[in-house]
Amino acid sequence: MNDIFQDGTIVRVDGVHKFFRRGSERVDVLNGVTLDVPEGEFLGLMGPSGSGKTTLLNLIAGLDTPSRGEVWVGDHCISQMGEGELAGWRTRHIGFIFQFYHLLPVLSAYENVELPLLLLPLSASQRKQQVTTALELVGLADRIRHRPGQLSGGQQQRVGIARAIVTDPTLIVADEPTGDLDAHAAEEILDLLCELRETLHKTILLVTHDPRAAQRASRLLHLEKGLLVEQIVRP
Amino acid sequence: MKYFRLIVRNVARNPLRSLLTSLVTIVLVFVVTMVWSVLWLLDLVTAERSENFTAMVAERWSVPSRMPYAYAGPVSRGAARGPDDVVPKDSMTWQFYVGTLDPEKLTRENLVFAIACEPEKIETMMDGLNDLPADQQNQLHEDIAKLKANRRGIILGHNHLRAINKQVGERFKLTGMSISKGLDLEFEIVGAFPAGRYDTMAAFNRDYYVDSMDAYPRTHNGQKHPWSERNLSLMLLRVKDSQDFTRVAGQLERSPELTSPAVRCETMSSGISAMLEPYRDLIWGVRWLLAPACLATILLVIANAISISVRERRRELAVLKVLGFWPYQVLILVLGESLLLGIGAGFISAGLTYAGINWGLGGVSFPVGFLDRFFVPPGALWWGPAVGGVAALLGSLLPAWTARNIKAAEVFAKVA
Repeated sequence: MNDIFQDGTIVRVDGVHKFFRRGSERVDVLNGVTLDVPEGEFLGLMGPSGSGKTTLLNLIAGLDTPSRGEVWVGDHCISQMGEGELAGWRTRHIGFIFQFYHLLPVLSAYENVELPLLLLPLSASQRKQQVTTALELVGLADRIRHRPGQLSGGQQQRVGIARAIVTDPTLIVADEPTGDLDAHAAEEILDLLCELRETLHKTILLVTHDPRAAQRASRLLHLEKGLLVEQIVRP
Repeated sequence: MKYFRLIVRNVARNPLRSLLTSLVTIVLVFVVTMVWSVLWLLDLVTAERSENFTAMVAERWSVPSRMPYAYAGPVSRGAARGPDDVVPKDSMTWQFYVGTLDPEKLTRENLVFAIACEPEKIETMMDGLNDLPADQQNQLHEDIAKLKANRRGIILGHNHLRAINKQVGERFKLTGMSISKGLDLEFEIVGAFPAGRYDTMAAFNRDYYVDSMDAYPRTHNGQKHPWSERNLSLMLLRVKDSQDFTRVAGQLERSPELTSPAVRCETMSSGISAMLEPYRDLIWGVRWLLAPACLATILLVIANAISISVRERRRELAVLKVLGFWPYQVLILVLGESLLLGIGAGFISAGLTYAGINWGLGGVSFPVGFLDRFFVPPGALWWGPAVGGVAALLGSLLPAWTARNIKAAEVFAKVA
């Protein structure tokens, strides 16, 4: 990763506000959040429902734009990008892991993982190599032809993780990745995320309600009413 | 092409809905194909040619036309009087004859409508008989030779042959009716018009008709046949081009030899247009109401199916956007699904219609004017898919645009 700030920061959120309109009412979700994430960090975001965790994650992942303030990822100020530009940027720089996996049910595990690669100028053999590698990394090399409906929740989430890492993104963002899994499967997914961070040096942003998941983060931030109120750094 | 697999999978996702949508499209494209085939035929026969015109000369003020037989000479010369006048390249006389196989039972099946003409002109003057495949051309040539040799010979169209349940070589007797009353003729079937051409017509030797007309007084107390002086129904003239046609028409209409009764000269196509005049409203309705209504129905059916599909897949489409699909790529994916359905169903429909009508049924009966039956033109093989495709494209524009504008953050915010 060479497009990072000189101090090693890969994500910089600077005075970000976000509000929505619900009819004539203005709902402030984020109220001036400032945050730096160094490269390779496993950052956990916690907070009660409606505190703005997912909104902050969406802003960092380029799914939404702030009402005020700036969001930088590497040397890209994504808060000023247009929709199309953001789409192209997300393909290369963001791996997104969803709570409910959100795999396409009509595609096999292999095809689901291949999906983001279709947007890149890669040959079929290059795509095959990357998909196979990603599925091996998540331990599903023997399930490539299975459709999501033929896989357990844990396996589907592994496919989701493989899809998130297959483009070798700058940042992996995970929104409650263990929220729909039993304790055992959740532990396996968290182990896998930690392994990705350690072996591939990926930067991971994790939004969670799950204290066990939060314990895996190297730094934990608490949001309340759109503000960062507490920070816990683990050695 | 990379997305084609995804498009196909999405279409196959709900097989029942895709099947029903396709079936509706197939049925409606079938209707549109049939309608357009008829309109195509009508346009073809009523379109003015730029050269090798066939002009039709008939009595000006009376229907059916009854011209004196003595007109045949001057009309065939285009009523040319001076060296600068245009003389037609060829001509043909038509004398209508109507008879029944059974005078006690005047059913449509027993009726035979025939023209008395010069046999050798059948090949050269009757449209659609000079561009036949070699084997049909040879057969027709042989039949015409027999017609020339056998004064009582007759060539029948396929509908007539079927209706009277006779075969080539058999004989039959017709009792004259209407304008031909009192002229009872016996015929030997020497041949048949090629299938699909002049199916509801029959042609026999002019000499036989004239002889019968001459013989009429012998069996009717010396009385001439009521139409003996005026039994020339119409004449066909072949002229080089539209310029010659205009001049010949002027010569005929100004000729002092052709004043009682006066004649009119029009192109074959305008003559057919006149015959189609009673059907004008029906044709207008088919062209401008039925066909557009079918197209609109295809459009609505596909719009409905794609709208449901997009609504059901909002999260999936949002996932595609999260993965980096551009809005236009999502638009293309949704349009691609409806295009696949529309074009596929259109092609199946047009292909089946073409094969079924042309090869299976040998055309569909269409006894209007000189028209016998219509065939589905080869162009339907691209009309069908085009109709299905365009209707699908228009029908899916709105749902595809909705899909394009899906905001991933909003979709997942609602999920959470």
